[in-house]
Amino acid sequence: MEFSGYDINKYSPRQMVALPLALLLLALAVLGYTTLATGLPLTPGIDFAGGTAVTVFTSDSRETIEATFAGYPLLSVGEGVGDGKYVQFGPMDDDQYRSFSALVNEKYPGAKVDQIGETFGKTLQSQAFLALIFSFIGVAIVIFIAYRNPVASGAIVLAAASDITITAGAMQVLGIPLSLGTTAALLMLIGYAADSNVLLTTRLLKRKGKFEEKLSGAFRTGIIMTTTTLGAIVAMWVVATAGQIQIISAIASVLIIGLLADMMNTWMLNAGILKAHIFRSGKK
Amino acid sequence: MNKETLTNLVKDWRVALLLLLVIGSLVSIYLAPPNPEKGLEGNLQFGLDLQGGSWLQMEFQSVVVAYSTDGSVGDLIENLRTGLETEVIQIDENHLEIRKNVSRADLEPIFAASGASIVTYQEGVSPFTADEVKRILNEKVNALGMQDARINLLTPTGSEYPQYVRIELAGVDMATAQEIVGTQGLFEIRVQTTGNETEHVLYGDQITSVGVPQRDTYGQWGVGFSLTDAGAEAFRAAAIESGAVDNPNAHHLVMILDNETVYSAPLSGELAGQIRSGPVSSLSASTGTGDSGREDAMTLQIHLRAGALPVKVDIVGSGSVPAALGEQFKMTVALAGIIALLAVGVMVYYRYREPSIVLPMLAVNFAEIVILLGISRFIIQLDLATIAGLIAVVGTGIDQLIIITDEVLHEGRVPSQNLYLKRYGRALRIIAISAATVVIAMLPLALMDLSTLRGFAIITILGVLIGILVTRPAYGKIIMAILSK
Repeated sequence: MEFSGYDINKYSPRQMVALPLALLLLALAVLGYTTLATGLPLTPGIDFAGGTAVTVFTSDSRETIEATFAGYPLLSVGEGVGDGKYVQFGPMDDDQYRSFSALVNEKYPGAKVDQIGETFGKTLQSQAFLALIFSFIGVAIVIFIAYRNPVASGAIVLAAASDITITAGAMQVLGIPLSLGTTAALLMLIGYAADSNVLLTTRLLKRKGKFEEKLSGAFRTGIIMTTTTLGAIVAMWVVATAGQIQIISAIASVLIIGLLADMMNTWMLNAGILKAHIFRSGKK
Repeated sequence: MNKETLTNLVKDWRVALLLLLVIGSLVSIYLAPPNPEKGLEGNLQFGLDLQGGSWLQMEFQSVVVAYSTDGSVGDLIENLRTGLETEVIQIDENHLEIRKNVSRADLEPIFAASGASIVTYQEGVSPFTADEVKRILNEKVNALGMQDARINLLTPTGSEYPQYVRIELAGVDMATAQEIVGTQGLFEIRVQTTGNETEHVLYGDQITSVGVPQRDTYGQWGVGFSLTDAGAEAFRAAAIESGAVDNPNAHHLVMILDNETVYSAPLSGELAGQIRSGPVSSLSASTGTGDSGREDAMTLQIHLRAGALPVKVDIVGSGSVPAALGEQFKMTVALAGIIALLAVGVMVYYRYREPSIVLPMLAVNFAEIVILLGISRFIIQLDLATIAGLIAVVGTGIDQLIIITDEVLHEGRVPSQNLYLKRYGRALRIIAISAATVVIAMLPLALMDLSTLRGFAIITILGVLIGILVTRPAYGKIIMAILSK
C-alpha cells in the first residue's frame, strides 16, 4: 500500500513537526481545561467514579427504559446494533441499590449488571494512575538504555507521550470516559508507539545509506505495519460494538484513535526531529 | 519448496520449537484431559463474563496501625477496645489490627490518652485475619456444594495489608451470591442431661465476641469467647441444673452449628467452681495441644462465629452475567477474533501479493494465538478484557513479522546467507527493543492486585515473550528458506 499523497522527504523538519505539536498543545489545552473544571484530566467512567452499568438485549425502546428506571440516577442509554442496550447509572446507596437490583431482576432477568462503589472507584482510579506513571518511567528507561542518544531517545519518548496525550484529548472531545479498559488501551499505545518509532530510529541511525532512501523505506514498512494492526483493531471494534461488548469496544476505539495519532507522531514529529538532528550533526 | 528444504526446516531448532509448542498447546487444550463434550472450547478456562455467574468485591472494615508507646500495650488495647467498642488484636510487636473502619484522626486522641502514638496507619487487615476470612468463605461455599468458586484477597499496590476480598461464583445469580456471603448459620450450645440427651442452653446471638486461638501456659490451645449477661445467666443455670457443675464428665457441653455437633467437652474444675459462685461471661473452649490442637482451635473459632466473618465487610462492587448472555459474548468475541485475523490477512496480501510470504506470516500469527491459548489455560481465565489483549497481541505480532520481512527483503531478494543474517539481526534488534517496552509498559497492570485487567496485561506480556523467543525466530528461518529457494 502506498500513500502517494505524502512524500515524507519533501518537507523540512519545521513543517513536519508543526501539525503534531499543534495537536499536542490542543490536546493539552483540552485536558488542562477539564482538569481545572472537574479536577481530573478525563471524565471518569463507572469504574473510577462509581455507578452501575447494565447490558441488556431487549426490544424495549430508549423511552421505555428511561421510564422504567425513572427513580434512579440514570446517566445514559447506549444503543448497539440489534437490541443491545448499555445503560449507565450513577452511584446509589445500599437501599436504593437493593431495590434497583430487584427491579432489574424482574424486568430484565437476562441482563449483565456491574456495580462499583464510589470510594472503591477512587481507589481504582489512584491505582490506575500509579500504573500509568510506573509504565511511562519504565518505558523511558528502556528506550534510553537502548539508544544512549538523548535526542533519539527523547524523540521516541516524546512521540509516545504525545500519542497518549492526543488520544486522551480526543477521548475527552468524543466523550469516551476513562475506565479500566481505556487505561489499559492507553498503556498498550506505549507498546505500539515503540514498534513504529523504534523501527524509524533504528533504520535511520543504524543503517548505512542515503537518508532519503532510509526514511522512505522505513515509512513504507511503518505504514503497512500500522494499517495492518489498524485492520485487526477495527474488526474488533466493529464486532464488539455491534455485539454490545462495552469493554472491548472501548479498548478498540482508544487503540484506533491512538494508532492514527501514532502514525502522525512517528512520521511527522519523530521523523522531523531525527531529520533535523542528523543534518545538524552532519552524518548523512 | 522441495522436500529436502522442508525436512531441513523442520530440523531447525527454532521451527521445531514452534511446532512442538503448537502441538503441546493443542494437547493441553483438547487432550489433557480430554473434554469432548465441550467441543472446540476444550479445556480453556473462561472468566465469569463469558461463562455466567456473579462476583462480589468486599472491603474489610478494619485498619492496621503501627504504634510506639512508652506505657503498656495491654492498656492501649483495652482503651481502644472500650473507646471504639470493637475488637483490637495485636498482630506483632508494634502493629495492631483495629476491626473498625475508623479514621486516623479519630484514633489519635485514644492513642495520646494511652501515652502512645501512631507511626503508620493503613486500611486493611493482617494477612492472618485475611486468610481466616478466606477460609470461612471457602467453607461456606463448599458447604453448598459449589465447586466453581474463586476467592481472592486483594492488596492495593503501595499497601502491605489485604484490603479487599473478591469472590466469584460461576453459574450463580446475584441474589444467591449475596445470600451465601451474608447469611450466618444457627449456632447453639446445649448441655448433656442424662445419657445422650441434651438440653438447650443458649443460641449464638448470646455470644458477643470471639477471640483468636491462643495457647495457655500448659500448651493447651483454645478459643476464648464472651457471653451477654443474659447468656452468662443461662449458662450458669443450665450448668447447675444439669449437674454439670457437680459432675462435669457426665454432662458435657455441646456446641452445635446447623444441627451438627462441632465441639463437646466437660466444664473444667476451675470453671465449675467459678460458676457455682456466680455467672461467668468470659469463657474459653480448649482443643488440646500441638498442631492438631491449633487446627481444631482455628475451626472452632469459625464455628463459634457461626460463619460470620471476624471483620465486618462492605460490598464495594458486584456484578453478574446470566449464562445465556455469557454464551452470546463468547460467540461474539470468537467472531471478532476470526474477523480480525481475516482483516490482517487481507491487508498483508494487499501489500505483498505473494502467497509464499503471506501464508507463512498468517500461519505463524495463528500459531502464536494457539500457543498463547495453550499456556493461558494454566494461568488465567479468558475474560472479555483478556480476549481484547489477545487481539491486540495479534496486532503487535503481525507488526513484527512485517518488520522482519521488510528488513530482509530490502532491495529485492536476499543475495547471501551472511547478508541475510545481518539484516535479520537488525530486525530482531528493533523487535527486542519494542518487546521490552511493551513488557515494561504492561508490567504494573500485571502486578497490581486490584485491576481486573490483570488478564489483559498478562496475555500481552506473554504474547510478546512468546513472540520474541519462539515465533519471530522461527518465522525468520522459514522466510529465509522461502526467499532463498
